Amino acid sequence: MKRPTRTEIRSARAAAGFLLPFLTLFLLCFIAPIGYALYESMLKVERTGALGLGGETTEVWAGFSNYAHALEDDRFTAGFGRVLLFGAVQIPLMIAFATALALLLEAASARWVGFFRTAFFLPYGVPGVIASILWGFLYVPGISPLVEMAHSVGWDVDFLGRSTVLWSIANIVTWQFTGYNMLVLIAQLKAVPGELYEAARIDGASAWQVARHIKLPLIRPALVLTTVFSLIGTLQLFAEPKVLKPLSNSIDSGYTPNLAAYNEAFTSNNQHIAAAEAVLLALVACVLSFGFLRLVGQRGKDGESR
Amino acid sequence: MTTQLTEDLPADGTPGADRGPRGKGRRRGRRNGGRRSGGRRPPLRHRIITVSLLTIAALYFLTPVYWLAVSATKSSSDLFGTFGFWFHDPHPLDYLHRVLSYDDGIYVRWFLNSLMYAGVGALAATLLSAAAGYALAKYRFPGREGIFNVVLAGVLIPGTALALPLYLLFSEMGLANTYAAVLIPSVVSPFGVYLCRIYAAAAVPDSLLEAARIDGAGEARIFSTLGLRLMTPALVTVFLFQFVHIWNNFFLPLVMLSDSDLYPIQLGLTSWQGYADRQPELYQYTVGGALLSVLPLMVLMGVLQRYWRTGLTEGSVKA
Amino acid sequence: MSTSDTQRYGTPRRAVLGGAAATAAGLALAGCGSDDDGDKPEGRKKGEKITLTFWSWVPGIDKPVALWNRENPEVQVKVEKVSAVDGAQYAKMHAAIKAGNPPDLGQIEYPVVPSFLIDNGLLDLTKYGIARSKGEFIGWQWQQSVFGKAVYAVPQASGPMGLFIRQDLFEKWAVEPPATWDEYAGAAEAIRKKGAWIETFSATNGNRFAGLAWQAGARWFGTEGDTWIVSIDDEPTRKVADYWHDLVRRKLIKTIPDRQNAWYKDVQTGAMASWLGASWGDALLVGNAPKTSGRWRVVPMPQWKRGDHAYANWGGSTTAVFAKSTYPKDALEFAIWLNTDPESIKLLIENGYGTPAAKKGYATSDLDVHQDFFDGQEYSKVFAEASKGVDTSWRWGPATDTLYQRLGDAFTAAIGSGGSFRSVLRKVQGETVRDLKEKGLKVEAG
Repeated sequence: MKRPTRTEIRSARAAAGFLLPFLTLFLLCFIAPIGYALYESMLKVERTGALGLGGETTEVWAGFSNYAHALEDDRFTAGFGRVLLFGAVQIPLMIAFATALALLLEAASARWVGFFRTAFFLPYGVPGVIASILWGFLYVPGISPLVEMAHSVGWDVDFLGRSTVLWSIANIVTWQFTGYNMLVLIAQLKAVPGELYEAARIDGASAWQVARHIKLPLIRPALVLTTVFSLIGTLQLFAEPKVLKPLSNSIDSGYTPNLAAYNEAFTSNNQHIAAAEAVLLALVACVLSFGFLRLVGQRGKDGESR
Repeated sequence: MTTQLTEDLPADGTPGADRGPRGKGRRRGRRNGGRRSGGRRPPLRHRIITVSLLTIAALYFLTPVYWLAVSATKSSSDLFGTFGFWFHDPHPLDYLHRVLSYDDGIYVRWFLNSLMYAGVGALAATLLSAAAGYALAKYRFPGREGIFNVVLAGVLIPGTALALPLYLLFSEMGLANTYAAVLIPSVVSPFGVYLCRIYAAAAVPDSLLEAARIDGAGEARIFSTLGLRLMTPALVTVFLFQFVHIWNNFFLPLVMLSDSDLYPIQLGLTSWQGYADRQPELYQYTVGGALLSVLPLMVLMGVLQRYWRTGLTEGSVKA
Repeated sequence: MSTSDTQRYGTPRRAVLGGAAATAAGLALAGCGSDDDGDKPEGRKKGEKITLTFWSWVPGIDKPVALWNRENPEVQVKVEKVSAVDGAQYAKMHAAIKAGNPPDLGQIEYPVVPSFLIDNGLLDLTKYGIARSKGEFIGWQWQQSVFGKAVYAVPQASGPMGLFIRQDLFEKWAVEPPATWDEYAGAAEAIRKKGAWIETFSATNGNRFAGLAWQAGARWFGTEGDTWIVSIDDEPTRKVADYWHDLVRRKLIKTIPDRQNAWYKDVQTGAMASWLGASWGDALLVGNAPKTSGRWRVVPMPQWKRGDHAYANWGGSTTAVFAKSTYPKDALEFAIWLNTDPESIKLLIENGYGTPAAKKGYATSDLDVHQDFFDGQEYSKVFAEASKGVDTSWRWGPATDTLYQRLGDAFTAAIGSGGSFRSVLRKVQGETVRDLKEKGLKVEAG
């Protein structure tokens, strides 16, 4: 066995020093809450005494009954189904939209590029809540100029109805984040050496071919990144349904898993079930994101000969 | 087919429009229409299609902002009673003044709170991430990959799933409903660490560090003088990313805060909105307040877009 | 975290006496449910300047508070306005209680007082001499916060229900103000033929639905021995559910959420020609539809049987003192002053807070603050009459905010899918029994 050299000790000590502040807080804000949620999710309340009055409150071991409860609650599971559906539709659309905008901007003349890019990116600076308040006004019949305009051409649209409100929320999210995703993609496009395009052009490739066969594969990593972030964002959907709920007769208290957990904790005042729901949410998020990364990682290895 | 945008792409990869005022582009355009042949530019038909599509997209992104700007000049009853896309009896300054002075200027306080949460939080997050990322990239020690993987998993866990247990935890610690309750979780950015590690690995050469060590510099000094400087582009990205993240975060302050003096702006605005049926002028204030809060961020977005470039790519290349 | 945590896990701690314990006489009702009564200071020292926080959403509540602050420089009260949309205010209060930093005082409606007892959230005010004030309040309103021997809040106001109608539109369309629910359905049909609507059935408005059931003679909660009896799916409630389901099914009423943007727009434009509201609703209409002034009237709530005088409350609230308040004595003193002082009541009435719980200090005609809006009608008389016809034996259960959420979710689903409102009752009944069980209470379906 080789004893660690002085430099090694010195470097380990330095590394610890650099890492410690972050790790301490990481432990407090990531690991501890997960542990705490796990613990809380395994307890339940018991009261003794007549009518539950005048007796005592104890927290007792509940095993997985809170999880069972959460999974039996059709509101909660429906909420999961809903965000998954949302993700399956909205994420590809948004990423495609962002990619199209990025490629279009690349292809456009310089004149207005700056203006357009800024215009597309602006909504990213609008917090989800404010975006929802804003779009809320644009959705409510009787107030929304959009509904009014649609009505005047004979189209009775209800943005807040049972079948539409999910997509109205999807629109808010798309509005907010397309520009951001576009910018990430543009950043990646810029990182591609210009000679590559030049070479393709000389080879007689059309703009479409260049986009399809050179640009798209090259921005693949950025596409993966934006997709994973969108996936995580989708599972956390909260502000939009929360803000729109009072305006719509189609959003219930478990519309998204996050809303369900929030309401369970604060409206129903049952933190044990809320904890179980939070744990389930984190679990699904992790499985999905890791799964997705794995999937594209595999395909990346098979498909690319880099 | 003679295409391409390479013309607009100077060698360093900076898009033309990034560099100067619009006037320059216009000059160039005119010149282009004149003597330089269309040979290097896409045909007119393509350009028209491109610009039309971009214009449609711009309409989509800007219409709600336009609505907001128009509506901020209306009274509550006009907000409900008049066509949303056009002005009616506008009193912009009057209403904005009322937004700012309502309830002893609580709006200003919320704004400053938001600025504090986002500014201080993002700064601290950047420094912590820089140090951690640097350590993970530049030192070899047992457990390094393990730590990195755990942090990476942290990127994938939805922040809101953590907020609830964190709230219960902070309650037990007596931290709930304090500035710290929002600030502390905000300074932890696993994504920042990830980005900083990737970037430091590429941009901070070991040889340079060795040279500094041989010169007798301490590790802390090497980090603060060499490391931070070389990592600057990534740090700017982490800062901006985290700034926007904290600024936009709703769930955490919603869960943590009950004292409205501590509210960030969007929490304050929802509380106004929630109260508006009892006090209708608050509809007006909510809309005006939303516009006021959106403007600076939008300006910031416009000005700072170019800084989003570098670091983000670094992050995505390895993703 | 760990110390209090171990306390909580496995170690019994005193619970609050929640619920409709008025019937549970003979129970030894202990304490106020706060964990740390022991280390609570006895109150403020003489001459010490303190600030109490008070969460409320009553419009204009800051005016009487300002008056108090002028008169009591040592005990300043700071009002924090909380959102009352969708139960947000109670979520916030529950959260603050859990976090251990609630305000000193809070506006809490009668229906949810028991939920806060389960939470250990409120202070038993008998220790601080609240009993002295009993005679100043209307008996049944006082009883709303009495559980066993403990009194948990100072009653503020009730909300007897009535029907606000657009007199001009009713006249124009030759529709008689409905005296019975049958007539109401007829009026709904007639108004619908004119292209307008009589009302909306808001899925998430549990408070009003409870009022409707209450009027019909329902008894959602009762007690038997040491067990809660839940009867949300009882005959009177079914009658109400069937009635409204029929109106919804025939598309005679809207289903948009009430008191939200679209609803206000409808009220402003006359697209909605009436509102089944409560006595505090005048201020709401005046504030949000000022241009319709002079066109409104108030008529009594329709009856199930002609000639009956059965009414109900929508809302009604208290000023409660939270268990963690550092200065409970001063807080209570303020709460009593707020709800009994004639000057304070005058200011509260001006801003529209409902029908006062105090017996004295105002005349019924004082409540006609917005007489112009109702074209000179002495509309408060209608509500005063209604108040007399409210069956005050109605009791609230221990988790009303959860119940409202359940009702809201189930009605949302039913309206969306065309399911029957009866199935809503069945579902919510089952869920409520389960919810109470989960709170560790003994419960049976009635």
